[in-house]
Order: sequence, then C-alpha cells, then structure tokens
Amino acid sequence: MIARLRADSRTLPILTLIVIVFGIIAAGNPTFAQAGTYAAIFAIAAIGLSLLMGNVNQISLGQAGFFGIGAYAVASLTTNWNLPAWLSWPLATLIGIVVATLVGLGLGFIALRFRGHYLAMATLAFGLICVGIFHETKFLGGAIGIEDIPYPRFGPLTISGYPAYWFAWILALGAALLTLNLLRGRSGRAFEAIRNDELAAEVLGVPTRRYKIFAFAYAGALAGLGGSIYAAFLGIVVPDAVSVPLSISLLLMVVLGGSGGVSGALIGAALIGFLDISGHQFENTREVAYGLLVIIVVIMAPGGAFGIIRSRFKASSAAALPTCHPELVEGQPQSHPTTATPRTITMPDTSAAPLAVSHVTKRFGGLLAVNDVSFELTRGTLTSLIGPNGAGKTTLFNAISGIGRVSEGRVEIAGVDVTGLQPHRIAALGVGRTFQNARLFGEMTVLENVVAGAFRTERTSFAADLFALPSSRRSEREATERARETLARLGLESLASTLARDLAFGDRRRVELARATASDPWLLLVDEPAAGLNASERAALTADLLKLRDAGMTLLLIEHDMRLVMSISERVMVLKFGTMIADGKADAVRNDPGVVAAYLGTAG
Amino acid sequence: MFQLLVAGLTVGSGYALVALGIHITLRATRIVNFAQGEFTIIGGLLALTFVQLFHANSWFALAGATVAGFALGLIFERLVLRPAARSGEIPLTIATLGTGFILLYGHALIPGWGSLPQPLPSFSGEASDAINVGGVTIQVQSMWVLGLLFAALAVLYIFFERTYYGKAIRAAANNPTGAKLVGIDVTNARAISVGLSIALAAYGGTIIGPITLVGGAGGTAIAIKGFVGAIVGGLESPVGCVVGGLLVGVIEKLIQGLPGVQYGLSDPIVYSLLLIGLLLRPQGLFGARSAVRD
Repeated sequence: MIARLRADSRTLPILTLIVIVFGIIAAGNPTFAQAGTYAAIFAIAAIGLSLLMGNVNQISLGQAGFFGIGAYAVASLTTNWNLPAWLSWPLATLIGIVVATLVGLGLGFIALRFRGHYLAMATLAFGLICVGIFHETKFLGGAIGIEDIPYPRFGPLTISGYPAYWFAWILALGAALLTLNLLRGRSGRAFEAIRNDELAAEVLGVPTRRYKIFAFAYAGALAGLGGSIYAAFLGIVVPDAVSVPLSISLLLMVVLGGSGGVSGALIGAALIGFLDISGHQFENTREVAYGLLVIIVVIMAPGGAFGIIRSRFKASSAAALPTCHPELVEGQPQSHPTTATPRTITMPDTSAAPLAVSHVTKRFGGLLAVNDVSFELTRGTLTSLIGPNGAGKTTLFNAISGIGRVSEGRVEIAGVDVTGLQPHRIAALGVGRTFQNARLFGEMTVLENVVAGAFRTERTSFAADLFALPSSRRSEREATERARETLARLGLESLASTLARDLAFGDRRRVELARATASDPWLLLVDEPAAGLNASERAALTADLLKLRDAGMTLLLIEHDMRLVMSISERVMVLKFGTMIADGKADAVRNDPGVVAAYLGTAG
Repeated sequence: MFQLLVAGLTVGSGYALVALGIHITLRATRIVNFAQGEFTIIGGLLALTFVQLFHANSWFALAGATVAGFALGLIFERLVLRPAARSGEIPLTIATLGTGFILLYGHALIPGWGSLPQPLPSFSGEASDAINVGGVTIQVQSMWVLGLLFAALAVLYIFFERTYYGKAIRAAANNPTGAKLVGIDVTNARAISVGLSIALAAYGGTIIGPITLVGGAGGTAIAIKGFVGAIVGGLESPVGCVVGGLLVGVIEKLIQGLPGVQYGLSDPIVYSLLLIGLLLRPQGLFGARSAVRD
C-alpha cells in the first residue's frame, strides 16, 4: 500500500463513525437528514473525480454529464416501466451505470490526446454536449425534465426522507471502501506511479493508457451512481441541474476536501452539502463563498482539508517510524551492497538473440540522430555502448524500449519483432531499463518504488483488488516480500521507507537499478549508471552489474567512465553522430584510430 | 442570409474578444482563464454603472469600463493568479474557475446590477435604428460593434508590434528567463498582460451590451463560445482567436436561422465544435502543430 493512503485508511472508519452519529442526531431533523443525504450523493461522484484528479493527474470539468446520465436513466426508465418497485430502481441504476461507464471509456480514450487546459476544455465540452442532449431530447422531457420519479421501494420499506440518509450513505461508504481497496493494491500503486512519472511507469510495464482510460470510466460510473440516487430521492430531474455549475461544484468538493484517495472527497462533499443547505436563503452569497474558499484553499493549502489532516498524521507518525519495521534495522549496514545474487534469470526458450537491432534509423526533423545501426547481443553478456555526447546513445535506447517511433529499421527482442510496440508491451517481454536521470517515483518510498518495479510479475486483477479478494492480498504480500529481498540484495533495506525524492544522488541510481531488476528481466538497458557516483559507489555498482550478468542477464550499458567500461565489458560499441564507428572487444576498440579520433580529436 | 451573417459577426465580436483575452493571458501566464467570460459580463455592468451613476454617454462608459477592467485585471493577477501559480497548473486552472464562480454569482449581489439582464444605451440613435444596404436591413448597432472590434484590434496590434512596451511583454511571455536576463521585469509584464486581457473583456462586454444586454447568467455561455472560438481558430494564434470567435458567432446564427432546425440545437452544435475542433485540429485553423500537448 502506498504511503499516501495510510492516513486515508485510518480516517475512513472515523468518518464512518461520524456518519452514524450524525444519522442518529438527524433522526428528528428532516433538514439535517436531507443535507446528509445530498452530501452522500455528491460524495459518490466526488470519490471518482478525486481518483481522476489526485491519482492520475487528470482534470474533468464534465462530471455532471455522467451524473446526468445516471439521473436520466433512472428518471426515464422508472417512470416508463411497469416493473415491480423493488426491481425498477436497481435495474435502472445498473443501466445508468453501464452507460456512464461506456461513455467514460470513450471520454477517457479521447482524453489521452490532451493535457492540462486542453483536457479541461475537452471535458467541459463533453459536459455541455450532455446537457444539450438532455435539453433537446423529447422523451427526456426537454427543458422541463422528468417529474414524478418514484422512490426506490424494497418490500414495505420506501426509501425516502430519513431512511434515504442511511441508504445513500451505505452506498457512499461502500463506494469509498471499494475505491480504497483498489488504491491499496497493485492498481493503486500503478496509478501512483503514473502520477509521479508516466514514462517510467510505462517502461516498467504499466499500461498507462489503459489505466487512464479506466480512471475515466471509473469516475464516470461513480458519478452515474450518484446521479441515479439523486433522481430517485429528488423525484425530478431537469437539464440545468446537471449542467456546468454541478461539474464545477464537484470539482470544488474535491479541491476543498483534498484529491487523491477517498477521505478528502467525503469531507469535501459533506462540507459543500452542508453549506448548501445551511446557506439556502443566501443564494449567490453562498456560491461566492465557495469561490473564495476554493481560491484560498488552492493558495494556502493545496492539499485541501484532508491534506491538513494528513500532514498532522505524518508529523505524529514520523517519530514512531524506526520501530515500525524492526527487521529493517537489524539487517547489515547499508553501504556494503555486495550480496547481489538475483534469482535465476530465465530467458524465453529460443535460439534468437536477446536483442537484435537491424538498420535502425531515427530522424528528428532534419537531424539524423541514429543512422542505420545494426547489432545483435549474445545471451548473458555485458556490452557497452559509448560515444561522445549527442552521439545518439539514449535515442537508440529509446528506440529499443519503444519510446517514440523509429524512422526505419526493426528491433527484435528474443525473436519477437517489437518495432512500434508500446513500451509497456516491450517491458512485459522481460526487458528492464534505467534512465540517465534516474526517474524514480519521487512521492513514493524506496520500497514502493521497487514493488512498482515488479508490476508485470504480479498476478492480480482490477476486480480482485476492488473487492480485496484473498488473491489480491496474497499478491500484494508476495510482491512486497520480493521487493524487500531485492533491496536486501543491494544492501538498501535501511532506505526502504525513505521517500525517493529525499534520497542522495548515488542511492537514487542504486534504487533505480533495484526497481529495474525487481521483475527479473533477462535484458537490461542501463543508461549512464555511474554518472555522479564516487569511487566506492562505482565499485559497488560494478559488482552489482557483474552479478546480474553472471546470473544470466543480458546487459547493454551506456557509460562515459572508460575505466569502468573497459574493465567489465565483453564487447564495446562506439556511436558517433548516430553512426556505429566501432564494435568489438574492449582492447581492440580502445586502440581503434577512429575511436581515438572521435574522443580526443586528431592532430592536423 | 446576409442579415444572418451580420448578426453572427455581431455576437461573434463578443466571442472574438473573449478568445483574444484568453489568448493574451495564456501567452503571458501559460494558463487558460476560465473566468474570462464572466469578466466580460462584469465589464458590461461596469459600463451600465457609469451610465446610471454619472449619466455618462456610451463612449464615456466604454472608456470607464475598459480602464476599470484593466484595474480589475491587475487585482485578479495579484490576488489570484500570482499566489496560486506555485500550486501547479491544475490548481491554478481551478482558481480561475473559482474566480468565475465569484463573478457569476457575486454580481447579482451588487445593488443596481441585479440578476436580470439589462440593456446598455446604444452608441448612436435608437437601439432599433437600421440602415438599408441594397435591400438588406442592417442594425446600426451591429456596425458599431464591428467597427469597435476592429478599432481595438488595431490598437492592440500597434501596441504589441510597434511599441517598446508591447515588445517587452511579448519577449517576457516567449522566454521569461531570457527576458529577465536582458532586464525586462517579467512579473510586471505578466500583470500588465492580464490587465490588458481583462480590459479587453470589459471592452467587449460594453460594445455588445446594447444588443445582447448585460448582466444575468449569460457569462458562462459567452465564455464557452469564446473558448470554442479560440480552439477553432487556435489558442496560440491571435488572428486565429479573432477569426474563430467571429466564425462561431456566424455558425450559431446560421444554425438558428436555418429552416427546420430547432432553435435550441445551436448551443449543443456549437459546443460539439469545441470537441470536434480539439480532436481534429487541436492547434486550430491558424496554429502551429507543436503547442498541442504541453
């Protein structure tokens, strides 16, 4: 479970208690009960938006559209059907949620193309189009909307008035619990990885596009559920009620409460729900107050109300941290990391080379970054790729790991043509990679970074995570176990609960190497691992790399430190201005006149 | 048909000015101001106040509203945009939405502004005055709107292209670090840009006031159609913003004027343009390809 959620998990029971206490108090007070009911309805929609904003960094100004889909599904179906009362609302709600989910998938797919304010506008347009459709569709009642929507009825129990409070909150807290489950497991870690560094997540095998689309669909489904309860309790749906101001209100709830996780959304929705009811006679003033509140929150406390609670929580738990993981303290001191023995590396059973690059060319406009490069790697060897700055080394790495399209040529990994595949698919074959600038997930701990690295080896599903099934919990336990092992191998256990952004530079490199090897890849691309390391750190790194090779891994290394390159590489390839100018044994390459010229320049 | 075109260009002038205002703020601060449309409404209401309180004529009110808009822009930049900038792009966008909320609902609280739309006095003669050009009647007010739109564009063009200050502001927007190094006060340039953009909103709200009325909840619609205009033409291109805004106005009026089309359909169709535009040509008709995904 990622660190950010710990406070969330502990707050949810407290919030549940508050809901129960408030419900008992509200027994004799219809205004209170009603305010509480609306808070629950909006909370459901806000939870979805909170996930979208706080966990995947996407903004949506169109959530009212989904809310409207749920509301209109219930409104039109329950008033037209002649089904038994106990079946009518649940069935209509189900249909509403399914439609909202499908539309959410569509919007998510569209949203992949946009970032920042373009995304804000695209989602705004979506919300407006929804209202336009509600407004102009005859059987949805046009501008007048639909009236006389029946209350949900289960046997003798009509869900309206006071019982509605409990009904709505059971659904809201249920949604909160499921969402929390989802975020606690592998899916939540993947979301968090995407939020921190999308490209690094993709290269670890996280299908980032799919996750983003999923987040939109999930947020859409929850908003649809909120809408379907809303329609049933209010008894009337009009287009203006599910228009832009509602989208913005939902956004305000999430911002006020704090995005990411569920507690913030619940707090924000409750806050607005109550301001809404208590400020009923102060229309306009109330909205002005929301606006001011949001601006103040954005400026003074960007984490929202729950952000303030969470920082308190962090301050009080920081002191207790060392005792939390006694097993970490007992281990050997950290800076002797020479016990690296990876688990056995198994390459697919094929005679093909682990990596075969043939005639790869990459152009950026008129610039030829990689020019007709071909080579094959031999299984279980360590090959270095050297060359002056700007020679195209990292570009070649990107071409191999699927970042950006190659202009010409093909890349085969263990006999599989991967040219044009998305990076996460290439990673899934068993390819690991590190970056020149160590792209760790800064807001996650070292342990979480490494667990995230094992993403592709975890066996669990969305559904298993959502309902916290035994399989999900087992997978979580095993993944954490393995990550601890990986850290232990590199002597990094004592850093396990440090946030990655607080790491020293040298440790950052080593944690990245741990993360890249957490899933036991058989092909590893390492981009300038020794840059910025001191002598003892380089020695440790050298030992780590050799251990990985000896365990059967095939390594391709970009490095500028010639002594390190010459001492560990079986083979050295030299790139200059995108062209391969030498390829052979280390000694031969070292004395190659062309290489000497490239590095030192020639006299005359 | 020609009449519809003129009517479209008239409402489109308002959208064009909103789009251009969005563009100027975006250039200077890299943020899309979602409150731009609401500032347009406030501008019109300010003009109304000048007329009612000081019995000013339309021209005086226009000047007053524009200056007041500039001041409002400076305040908005100093109190909202600048402090919120530290929190990142999404929070900043939300802060502009919050500002929009305050303006949209807050203006009804101010005595005399109310929540019902009111007309501004016309720039010459009666609101209903019209002239006849080759058998087509054109409202005199429409002529004024278009004339004033192009006057504003000419002034802006001269300011940004021909004056030292205008060039300094453009430099500050294009490359803040570089501008700082050559001694331009980037913070100031940003503030002035936002001031100009809100002044433009107020100006726009005033010139269309005699025709579209001022006040009420119309800000959202104008704001969104301004966005549509900016997207269709290209957020990053000033010419695109103006042409896009005018185009949206014309399309809106043509749809409303088509026989057999429900009047209410024009808004959903115009809003769909926003999404279609974003999908097919996110850089807009006049934009360069590069700026889309930042």
